[in-house]
Amino acid sequence: MACIERASPALNQILLKLYSADKPMEIDHHLYEFGSVQYHILSQASNPLVAYLSISASSLCHGVLQNELSSYTIEMVKRLCPEVVEIVEPSREGYQLTLRLNLNQIPLGKDYVKVIRDISTFHSVILSSQLKEILWNVNSDVTMQEMYKPIKLAYHPREPFFIIMQPQRIIAVFPIRFKEKSDVIIATAFFQELVDVGSSDKWAKAPPCTWSAIPPPELRGETLEDLSTNGGFVTFDISSRHIEGKRLDKTVWNLLNFNAYVRYHVKSTKGYIQRRMRKRLENLVEVLHQTNSEENGQTKQHQATGYRYKKKQVRSSKYNILKQRWGNFGRKMKMHFRLRIHGFGRFRQRWLRFPKFSSKGYTKLE
Amino acid sequence: MSSSTSRLYLTCIRNTLEASMCLQNFPCQEVERHNKPEVELKTSSELLLNSVLICRNEAEKCLIETSINSLRISLKMKQTDELENILTKKFLRFLSMRAEAFQVLRRKPVQGYDISFLITNYHCEQMQKQKLINFILQFMEGIDREISELKVSVNTRGNLVATKFLKQFID
Repeated sequence: MACIERASPALNQILLKLYSADKPMEIDHHLYEFGSVQYHILSQASNPLVAYLSISASSLCHGVLQNELSSYTIEMVKRLCPEVVEIVEPSREGYQLTLRLNLNQIPLGKDYVKVIRDISTFHSVILSSQLKEILWNVNSDVTMQEMYKPIKLAYHPREPFFIIMQPQRIIAVFPIRFKEKSDVIIATAFFQELVDVGSSDKWAKAPPCTWSAIPPPELRGETLEDLSTNGGFVTFDISSRHIEGKRLDKTVWNLLNFNAYVRYHVKSTKGYIQRRMRKRLENLVEVLHQTNSEENGQTKQHQATGYRYKKKQVRSSKYNILKQRWGNFGRKMKMHFRLRIHGFGRFRQRWLRFPKFSSKGYTKLE
Repeated sequence: MSSSTSRLYLTCIRNTLEASMCLQNFPCQEVERHNKPEVELKTSSELLLNSVLICRNEAEKCLIETSINSLRISLKMKQTDELENILTKKFLRFLSMRAEAFQVLRRKPVQGYDISFLITNYHCEQMQKQKLINFILQFMEGIDREISELKVSVNTRGNLVATKFLKQFID
């Protein structure tokens, strides 16, 4: 699943670690993201003020753009942080682009976090600029053949989407696929809400959105693999006003992340359902336990009332039991010695006295 | 209308349960010194009573099977659409997996039903019959309410997320 955040979290963390290290660090990291993006971060201890960042990513669109980055994309990367970032020519072997990061140019204080975060958006800048180039062609002169031909874009290799250029508008079609049926149903409920919300007057300015279980007619002629889905097709109708000025960047980012957005919604909804079920289980169990405890209370009450005159059985210690028995024996002895013998009482108190036991189970032998 | 039919349905189940929950200790006739729920084994037909099927509609029904020492209640919950279907399945599976917490819940429902309870004479001795019936009915009502609330919540969440998504195009 693609990341909704523009900055790559792993790249951001490594660059932060590299920048804030007390001692010069030797770093040679190969980093893979979404299975299709590869970063290489190189920093030598001999030259701690410079780091090299290389990227290799599959192109967003194989049909229109070449594997090499366009001049517009390179221009956008240069604008990322002009003081810190320099493009190295030629790029490292196996990578599309290599950047030289001048770490000493990163401002001190809290700003360095923002600068490093901007550098971490490297991949998203490349993808956005590629899509921007396509969207800019809405009003340009294109031949009729190119116009209605769907362009397959893949932010993530397993989640491609299609862009169809038409006069004064662009249609973005997202085939939706999920592994589990429950995910499909939650996503479908979301699409229905999306269509309902989009068709209301309040959101008239937002791009009209439709959902259908069958492929839209614009995708006629595409391969069966691309057209076979279990979650249907979501279509956004993007007009020229959605790509004017600053809106272009947002529109591009929203389209690139639509699949990730839907997946994130499905995942969090499932988590929410699980939390609710857990809570409900506790309530239901409580009902049953209340029933049990009430019964136990009632049976105890019955016992207490039924055996009111029964002698209370209390566990007593061994000492008490023996003492009681000895008392009984003593009483019997008394019965036997009805005859008074002078001095026998004192003798009995002294010699026929029950010995004192400690309450412990044993006495330690010395 | 719906609540009144639901009340009638629940009252019917309550009355049937009251009538059929007359369980007594009865040792197994097949295996010596064993005491097994006859409704599950079904080895001796003379120990089984006629089962009762109470239907509110085609999708919602309750099967009560009775024997001399045990009672089995199987429920089929209403599932009007796919979302309700997966919510019900998820929830009842979740409960069945935690059947030990309920004592009377069966781990696997009877075929054709969503959830089953098995009440033996020991349960009736441990818990009061009336309270046990109340629990079953409360359970049914609770599940129904929970599924409806869950469905509304999922749709509301979807609505909010959709609004948030479309808002990004306008801001």
